[in-house]
Amino acid sequence: MVLAVCAMILALGVSHAPAQQKVIKIGALYPLTGNLAATGMDCKRGADLAVEIINGKFDLNLPFAKDEGIPNLGEAKIEIIYADTKGEPKNGLAEAERLITQEKVVALIGAYQSAVTKTASQAAERLKIPYVCSDSSSPTLTERDFKYFFRVSPHDGTMARNQFEFLKDLETKMGKKIKTVAIVYENTEFGANVAKMQKQYAKEFGYEVVADLAYAANASDVTSEVGKIMSAKPDVVMHAAYITDAILFTKTFKEMNLVPQGFLTMAGYVESDYLPTVKSDGNYFLVRSTFALDLAKKKPMVGQVAELYQKKYNIPMGENTARSFSAPFVLADAFNRAKSTDPEAVVKALLETNIPGDQIINPWKGIQFDPKSHQNIHASAMLVQILDQAYYTVWPFDAASRDAVWPFPPWKDRK
Amino acid sequence: MEQLVQQLVNGLLIGLVYSLLAIGLTLIWGVMNVLNFAHGEFLMIGMFMSYWLYALAGVDPLFSIPVNAVALFLLGMFIYRYIISKVMQGPALAQLVVTFGISIFIANFAALIWTPNFRSIEHTLLSGTWDISGIKLSIPKFVTSIGSVVTSCGVFWFLRNTRTGKAILAVEMDREAALIMGINTDRINSLSFGIGSALVGVAGALLATHYYIYPFVGGTFGLTCFCIVALGGFGSIEGAFIAGILVGVVQTLGGYIFNPAYKLAIVFAMYLITVWIRPQGLRGW
Amino acid sequence: MSTITGKRLALGGAVLALLIILPLVVASPFGQHVMILTFMFAMCGVAWNLMGGYAGMFSFGQVAFFGIGAYTSSFLLLTFNISPWFGLVAGGVIASLLAAAIGYPCSNLRGHYFAIASIAFGEIIRIVFNNWQTVGAAEGLTIPMMKESLANFMFHSSKLPYYYIMLAFLLLAVAVCYWVSTSKMGYYLRAIKEGHDIAQVLGVNVVRYRLYAIMISAFLTAMAGTFYAQYILYIDPESVMILAISVQIVLVAMLGGANTVLGPVVGAAILITLSEYSRAWLGYKGTGVDMIAYGTLITIISMYLPNGVWGSIISLTERGK
Repeated sequence: MVLAVCAMILALGVSHAPAQQKVIKIGALYPLTGNLAATGMDCKRGADLAVEIINGKFDLNLPFAKDEGIPNLGEAKIEIIYADTKGEPKNGLAEAERLITQEKVVALIGAYQSAVTKTASQAAERLKIPYVCSDSSSPTLTERDFKYFFRVSPHDGTMARNQFEFLKDLETKMGKKIKTVAIVYENTEFGANVAKMQKQYAKEFGYEVVADLAYAANASDVTSEVGKIMSAKPDVVMHAAYITDAILFTKTFKEMNLVPQGFLTMAGYVESDYLPTVKSDGNYFLVRSTFALDLAKKKPMVGQVAELYQKKYNIPMGENTARSFSAPFVLADAFNRAKSTDPEAVVKALLETNIPGDQIINPWKGIQFDPKSHQNIHASAMLVQILDQAYYTVWPFDAASRDAVWPFPPWKDRK
Repeated sequence: MEQLVQQLVNGLLIGLVYSLLAIGLTLIWGVMNVLNFAHGEFLMIGMFMSYWLYALAGVDPLFSIPVNAVALFLLGMFIYRYIISKVMQGPALAQLVVTFGISIFIANFAALIWTPNFRSIEHTLLSGTWDISGIKLSIPKFVTSIGSVVTSCGVFWFLRNTRTGKAILAVEMDREAALIMGINTDRINSLSFGIGSALVGVAGALLATHYYIYPFVGGTFGLTCFCIVALGGFGSIEGAFIAGILVGVVQTLGGYIFNPAYKLAIVFAMYLITVWIRPQGLRGW
Repeated sequence: MSTITGKRLALGGAVLALLIILPLVVASPFGQHVMILTFMFAMCGVAWNLMGGYAGMFSFGQVAFFGIGAYTSSFLLLTFNISPWFGLVAGGVIASLLAAAIGYPCSNLRGHYFAIASIAFGEIIRIVFNNWQTVGAAEGLTIPMMKESLANFMFHSSKLPYYYIMLAFLLLAVAVCYWVSTSKMGYYLRAIKEGHDIAQVLGVNVVRYRLYAIMISAFLTAMAGTFYAQYILYIDPESVMILAISVQIVLVAMLGGANTVLGPVVGAAILITLSEYSRAWLGYKGTGVDMIAYGTLITIISMYLPNGVWGSIISLTERGK
């Protein structure tokens, strides 16, 4: 019977080569195939580079770069076992369980999409394995009182607030008031959560929301959406998008000549494929980001890492990559201080994490987790602006490498 | 008010793109009663062909139209000959499913050989927007619409005025009768699949002038396309053409007037209501 | 339709015994997960068969019922603290009523028009739920981790209870399908499939029997949806109401054997096991080889085994007699 054959296959199971003596296996979940494959591969490259730096000897101011492997564990090397989630929550659950119970990983990282991280981390919590996430942004992930889940990167609530802080700072700098915002978002878990936070902070900061526009990310045409935004005549357009809609909206903004004072965007506009696809049309969009190449000016280590990445993969380092880059270091640091990979010891060590700001590629004060929510208390977003088809930090103003260009120059005035 | 007119214009523009996509699909459906699930993937192949011709040989997408048409014609006939024809004798479900299998294969194979990354064509002969007393008209979209009208008229003329075209129509109307009359229905099937694919290749070239290109772009247009074809009616070229425009306009105006989040729901509701009243679609028989 | 002979009964019993012992032998959670998913899709495939295989209504909108089942039980649980078992039945009832409501006007649609109408229906439901704040809209619903118990329909320490519950559901669906196929209703449904008009001339109340098929199919599919919600503990329209699930259900039924009772079970055993394991073994490289293989498999089976794997096996054994 077919089922018997299948049972035999199941019983045989599969695992990678038998672990050498000093190898620590961690599992990574990403959408490596399907619609978001390009993003998933970006994340994979980031994690791979991190592990390469930890395992090898590099003259960089990053934890364990100068050592080979984890010093307190006899120079044990980290090995990442990847799993493809295809962006589905049920696969997040299944792969997390498989990596833990069959591949015997001692920790998990990933999974980019918050809906997938949700179920995957639930599996990790049940199986009592630490999960360090540095690339999913839904605030709900750190509102669950989970013991084993930690998040390094900022969540959408923080980042939404950062966007409004930027607007307020801008108003002060320009001496002119900004009154109205349009909140535009793709209608899945990501966008809907962002919109909720943005509406909350708009109220708190005193801005009027003149358009609250959800749309389907895979629309073939967004004329009606842009038309509605234009009819609302907002001062600022806030847009949470994935890459396909970011591209489509950009082209439609240009085509229909929407020129607000500024565009504040999330996610899709900072994807590696965005600028190569829209080229100069992307100029002057502002995106919230946890990374930019110009951070190298204040932190040379960032430039060295970016150069390593460019040399290895022949493409520039982007924000998704930078996010996934953090998690392996946080885990390595915890393993080292715990002097063990035992989950309880690692969790205890994670709670005591205190990586200083000069040893991370992000512009934060450091990495320290809130004892209850396990959210990195120093995580926040900067605002970068696309200028001359590259990303430049423009806020916080004291960390900026260039002045923000505001308001948004009319489309027809560009060459 | 101006915005409303703008939305109408844009609805027409995208509607005409849909029309072009739909007439290829409805031809295949009408002749063989096969709903080609891989239609979106053929579009993707067409778009990529234009892209590679541009990236590697500097050929403007407009000039890739004939190349695409021929290449996809051949691809369509190939797939018919070696895959589809094998399931024509079997149950209808098998025919549906086989094209679905082909679509998965093509999309993922494309992602494997071309990477899943996004591409676009920058400097083409057509770019920019006309401003006609406040109404913005995207030039590439406008040319695509013209292309759609020309192609649809061409197909319409071909079907009614050439020997082969009339044979195709005959098979569409009554397969058995056509067989009795001595028409080689298998050859007609093959030709129709080829022509339907060639049409979508043309659409790909036109879309490549202003749309983003990646292996899964077929999914963006596929579903709407099936709905349009069914709305227009089994096998009817005029039906597909009209339905395409109708869907484009209803989708855009409906999204603008009510709520863009419900755009697709409005289109699907329109389909349901139409077939409840007229089960064979607008112009089907 | 094959009758139950003593030999077949014994064979069936043996398979059932195997399925009961299987998760104890294959103790890996992933293996158990694959089997649970297999049973879940098998159940949906069997339910689909009632409409598609038997009555000729090729529905590509089953996911609407699946999603409604998942959402009903979850919403009732989260808002009114109602037991998911009650939610299970409520979801089934709502799904079948909705199925009847939509099935009635669609009942005289032919072939592809019906298929597209079912897609339209599924998509409308998805879009509505995606924007309906009361049920979470795009953010979805998270089922909180509760104390492990049968009453709570939730288990944490082992997947075995989930496995046996899903197996029981599947057996129920198979039993219902078998009963329908050998009863008067099954006879009428097949007549309707052969020729709509002929059936009517023969006095078969076409509309009524089509509706029965649709309603039963919807109820069973909704049950699977509730199970999913209680198993994965997070639902949103992107995971329980998308067209891809409807297509998967059709594939499972068709590639197994669209007008046999056990066809979808075999189809699920092949397709789900293959896609889950190929993703696990090959997916990590990101090449998409597993999907290419999947597409190829579907194409080849539809070309050379158009009656499905199980359907072909049955006709082979029957021809052998």
